[in-house]
Amino acid sequence: MQGVYIPINYIPGDSIIHKIAPIPKFIWVLGFLLIGFSTRNPAILGALVLFGFIMVFVAKVWKPFTIAFIIWIPLAFTTFFFQGIAPAFPRPWEPIFSFGPFTVYQIGLYSGLTLVLRAWAVTIVALVSIFTTHPGDLFTSLQKLGMPFELNFILTMTLQLIPILQNELYVVLSAQKSRGLKGTGFGALIPSMVPVFAGTIERVSQLSIGLESKAFGSKTKKTSYRNISMYPKDYIILVIGALVSAAITYWIFVDKSLDWSRTFLFPKPVAIAMITVAVLGFLTYMIFVIYILIKV
Amino acid sequence: MANHPIISIKDLTYTYAATETPALRNINLTINEGEYVSLLGLNGSGKTSLLLCLNGIIPNMMMGEFEGSVVVDGFDTTEVPVRELAKLVGMVFDNPEFQISQWSIAEEIALGLENLGISPNEMVKRIRDMLEVVGLPRFEERSPWALSGGQQQRVSIASALAMYPKILVMDEPTSNLDPIGKEEVFQVANNLNLEKKMTIVVAEHEVEVMAAYADRIILMDNGEIILNGTPEEVFSQVDRFEKIGLRVPQVTAVTKNLEEAKKIKALKKYPVTVDQFYSLVNGLI
Amino acid sequence: MTKPIIECQGLTHIYKNTVVAVDNLNLKVLPGEVVGIIGQNGSGKTTLVKHFNGLLKPTKGKVLIDGRDTTTMKIQELAKTVGYVFQNPNQQLFAKTVESELEFGPRNIGCSEEEVIERREHAIEFFGLENIRLSHPYRIGFPLRKLVGMASIYTMKPKIYIVDEPTTGQDHITTKRVNNLINKLRDEGATIICVAHDMILLADIAQRMIVMKDSKIILDGKMKEVFLNFETIKSTHITPPQVTEVSRVLLQNKKIGKDDLCLTIPEMTTLLKKKIK
Repeated sequence: MQGVYIPINYIPGDSIIHKIAPIPKFIWVLGFLLIGFSTRNPAILGALVLFGFIMVFVAKVWKPFTIAFIIWIPLAFTTFFFQGIAPAFPRPWEPIFSFGPFTVYQIGLYSGLTLVLRAWAVTIVALVSIFTTHPGDLFTSLQKLGMPFELNFILTMTLQLIPILQNELYVVLSAQKSRGLKGTGFGALIPSMVPVFAGTIERVSQLSIGLESKAFGSKTKKTSYRNISMYPKDYIILVIGALVSAAITYWIFVDKSLDWSRTFLFPKPVAIAMITVAVLGFLTYMIFVIYILIKV
Repeated sequence: MANHPIISIKDLTYTYAATETPALRNINLTINEGEYVSLLGLNGSGKTSLLLCLNGIIPNMMMGEFEGSVVVDGFDTTEVPVRELAKLVGMVFDNPEFQISQWSIAEEIALGLENLGISPNEMVKRIRDMLEVVGLPRFEERSPWALSGGQQQRVSIASALAMYPKILVMDEPTSNLDPIGKEEVFQVANNLNLEKKMTIVVAEHEVEVMAAYADRIILMDNGEIILNGTPEEVFSQVDRFEKIGLRVPQVTAVTKNLEEAKKIKALKKYPVTVDQFYSLVNGLI
Repeated sequence: MTKPIIECQGLTHIYKNTVVAVDNLNLKVLPGEVVGIIGQNGSGKTTLVKHFNGLLKPTKGKVLIDGRDTTTMKIQELAKTVGYVFQNPNQQLFAKTVESELEFGPRNIGCSEEEVIERREHAIEFFGLENIRLSHPYRIGFPLRKLVGMASIYTMKPKIYIVDEPTTGQDHITTKRVNNLINKLRDEGATIICVAHDMILLADIAQRMIVMKDSKIILDGKMKEVFLNFETIKSTHITPPQVTEVSRVLLQNKKIGKDDLCLTIPEMTTLLKKKIK
């Protein structure tokens, strides 16, 4: 594997999270998704994010996590800023301050903050699950749950292809640079993506013939080489995850006081600070990225 | 070798969907059990298409017009699903990396077995045995993605063999491999043929190697079979090869040149291997 | 004394702090030479040649291209001098027509529009691509795609060509075509480094052969001299051309002398015509 690549694949390890069977983890991800999309309450979302970071720590996957997560930082800044000036919320919008042609609104900052927290909450737990679940175990577990074989295959195949395709992209970029291609802006998009797509299509079509030659897609009962056993601890974790998610979601729907959208107010200096940080952060990141790309 | 036909192809003509020119024309071919047959031909001559007819991918998976018949071990490929033929015919393709889809070698080999409904215990046994056969003992838990090309191709062969086929079909299996990889694959194929009496059908460009190992050479061009015989019989038709644009083993070409220069007497069959050639010229120098 | 166009001084390349891919390598290539580099996958040959166009920079030691240290130049800059023809054309081709593909390289290195068109036309003629000039690169079949890949480097008019496995997976007709094209490039004065497993191709195009094993150069010299090292060649699992094998047997049985070693069919034919009374 050459070059720097973003690790979105199984990272072997022996943490407790690694030792949990795939299905309970799958249920937890669904639980986070459910809660995350049911509410915009920053405290609840913040708790999910915090819990996610704790999981990263317990799973001992800090290093790959940081590399994989780094893309979310500038996205967070961007979302925060744009929501701040143009909230995805029904009016009225209460303004806090203005600069230049832009006006920053209370509900905007709230919206930005909660959207970012929501995205992070879901992403962190998904990444941890991917890092700690062996694709073979995932595949077998999903099959046991009755997931259609082909769909299951697509899912696990995609997970495996991510590092392969990243490597392919790296090779293609090397090839195009060897033809004088400068930079990696829009002009470089087609010369780098087309060969990767073409290569992927070629790979997939050859793979499909190969699989067909191994009786793939036959309708008879399939056996499984690999066996996933669920131990009591896995059942307990699964049940806890399901119950707690259901309970919290219920609470969210029932308790209207959890909607802080009109009551959570940002003091003006705090708002100004946050927007400034967002804009500066975004610009710094952009300069950093451009610098790296020019150097490479 | 017993002359028991295991593959019988009669008047086979196949045209891919949305094309006008047939990829295969009027193919008539019999392959006996235990034979090592090599297919030669330019890219686009129909080699791959012919091989895909042997396990039923053509016509069952590809759209197109299929005429004639292909009978493998008594089964007509138009009447039997690919799943059944997969038990008879194992296929290996030219790019080993493109065949991989699993995270461990054992899973990769088990894939076909799972589809056939083989019991897990039996799977473990077959995987272990086939890895021995291809020279990768105890490689079960390793990742296929991290292997060399030659090793990946041997895993591909093991995957095909685990289904206990009677015929092993390989489409340019060494074209993407380095010399060691090529050697490994040719050795495995040769051993299977000699020791386990497996029928081997290979499409290849390595004419010198095929001259040494194959029982029979089939030359294809434009979808048709042009020549069909032993390596000596076929490669001696040097002019036919030249016209098509293929080469013969180097010693065969040299022999023809010497014959034309009247340095040796006219021969019906030219040597195709180093040993045969040396026997020929040794006494003359 | 002619100055070398490629020079490696104590070149070492270590991947990820542990894997020594190239170990303290010294090499000089003169302008106009055609050099074949052979060795197993993992011997370091691909790592070596990637230093020539800057895709890799030395961990230790220096690589000089036309006298300039590659660490002082960007890949895009070196691309004007060193053209790297990738083994898999699918990793380079992306344009809608063969014509646009050929124009990509010269545009990148700053040629004027007239220059770009002129070079494109010259490449089409040189490589015989007239019939497919408006075809989509992915609709022309793999062998032709490899030629287009080569042609798209030709339009950049580099002094040095690095050709990576030009005939892998090709049938004989296309191999011959590639063979002739490389010879034509040589006639135009280009320096050519060909990394390949195809001994028959190398026997025809290369004057000099470098054999790599375990990150080092173990043989470097004229083709015939290199192939006389029968045992060393065997240990690298390289298969010499069949006529060379025959030469070895004849040599061992004292029927011919060392100078009679053959690498190609014409050579063996000529030799035996002489020897057979």
